[in-house]
Amino acid sequence: MEAATHMLRTGRRGPLFEVQMALRDLRTSMGRIDLAWSLAWHDVSSRYRGSILGPFWITLSMGLMVMGIGVVYANLFGIALKDFLPLVALGIVFFGAISGTITEGCDTFVHAAGMLSQTSLPMFTFVWRTIFRNVINLGHHLVIVVAVLIYYGYWRTANAPAATIGLIFLLLNAGWISMLIGLASARFRDIPQIVTSVMQFAIFVTPVFWPVNRLLHHQWVLDINPFYHMLEAVRAPLMGAQVAPHTYLFLAGMAAVGWAATFAIFANIRRRIVHYL
Amino acid sequence: MKAAPVSISCKGLTLRFPVYGVDAKSLKKSLAKITVGGRLGSSHGTTEVTAISNLSLELKAGDRLGLIGHNGSGKTTLLRALSGAYEPDEGEIEVRGRIAPLLDLNLGIDPSASGYENIRLRGRIAGLSAREVDARMDEIAAFTGLGPFLAVPVKTYSAGMQARLAFAAATSVEADVLLMDEWIAVGDAEFQQLAHKRLLKLVERAGILVLASHDLDLLRLYCNKVMRMEGGVASPVTDIKKLDELMNA
Repeated sequence: MEAATHMLRTGRRGPLFEVQMALRDLRTSMGRIDLAWSLAWHDVSSRYRGSILGPFWITLSMGLMVMGIGVVYANLFGIALKDFLPLVALGIVFFGAISGTITEGCDTFVHAAGMLSQTSLPMFTFVWRTIFRNVINLGHHLVIVVAVLIYYGYWRTANAPAATIGLIFLLLNAGWISMLIGLASARFRDIPQIVTSVMQFAIFVTPVFWPVNRLLHHQWVLDINPFYHMLEAVRAPLMGAQVAPHTYLFLAGMAAVGWAATFAIFANIRRRIVHYL
Repeated sequence: MKAAPVSISCKGLTLRFPVYGVDAKSLKKSLAKITVGGRLGSSHGTTEVTAISNLSLELKAGDRLGLIGHNGSGKTTLLRALSGAYEPDEGEIEVRGRIAPLLDLNLGIDPSASGYENIRLRGRIAGLSAREVDARMDEIAAFTGLGPFLAVPVKTYSAGMQARLAFAAATSVEADVLLMDEWIAVGDAEFQQLAHKRLLKLVERAGILVLASHDLDLLRLYCNKVMRMEGGVASPVTDIKKLDELMNA
């Protein structure tokens, strides 16, 4: 813990200085990234303490949901289960990761109030904690993904490297949205309500439960939907399809602009966050 | 380990708290304010409370400073600022040495987790690696005196048992700068004796202690210097022997 042996806090101001301090916060959190992992693991294991299946309850409940929706909607749409169930399974799992990271972002700083107001722990640690917690949950859900891909034979054409790149893009974007919402929620207590409503809306306008080709008109709705691109970058390669180049472009641009804006806001309000809580 | 000199230095430290009332935390009202264009108060439409004003303080290894003052005089705020949680509005704080803020015994305690898990969590938050925590586990466990109860969720503990656990976990860190708020009197009489011994040892090992308390006898026991705070303004640091004069001043 060499880094902790010298602490300097000053009343100095100025945009450059604030950015430096924000960068230092980021660096310190990277140096103690294992702490964020421990906290995330603790969160997951404490949620399922005392249950027999433990974290695999997440997998089981998600699996049931996938089965239910998959079978019912396949009939409604008149699509073969083989074509439809994998689509829904992957859609629910990866949209769940997006929506979990974002909605739990609301609590990132609010729940850390105790620690932030009496230790010098970096604030980014708690951002990573939220993201890692959702990565761990996603890890459990991957059981469903793998099972479905194998059962329906998609594993032969699945492009795992492309899907991994897509997942990185997904997490990069879900990450900044999560942090931005965390900062906003610390200041304004109505943000969590807004976020919940928006994500509920998003799950229906994003092709999670319905195939893209069913949307005959208004394709532009998908093109401007960031969740569609985030989902598609992971789901398409796993189902043996190509990811449109403009999806990568969209995701890369969104990640760059999003992180820059979030970081700028963080640098600007960093010294006040602890007082919001 | 003691290679680097241990010190605390505050120069012209001023801390102001913006007060975000429950009302001000609504987005609607904030937006309404922007559209109307009127902004109340000094900055960002919020009132501010000055918790500490223009405080200067120099402490070096061996200093054990007692903080005394009424409720709301800024003692805890100063401790939190020294822990690195608050950014000064003016002036600066510089601390050399590993800081152990023992301000809230229940920091990071998860009631549904077992005693062992809580010790681990608390240690990790304090900056120990997983291996370091494991190496200390036996000693900490023995000190709590909770035996088999350590494997049971903390929510089943009595208040005294919980205090034992928290105290043992919180004081397991090696630190150069120890910041303590008034919470030393925990547990039953027997445990208080143990706690007292452990604290004395910790204080001896720590380079600097800053202790906020209303208990004059306690301050005399642990401290060699004292500072009185009143409404965010600090008195000069004086010798503990002049505590009575300071209190009557």
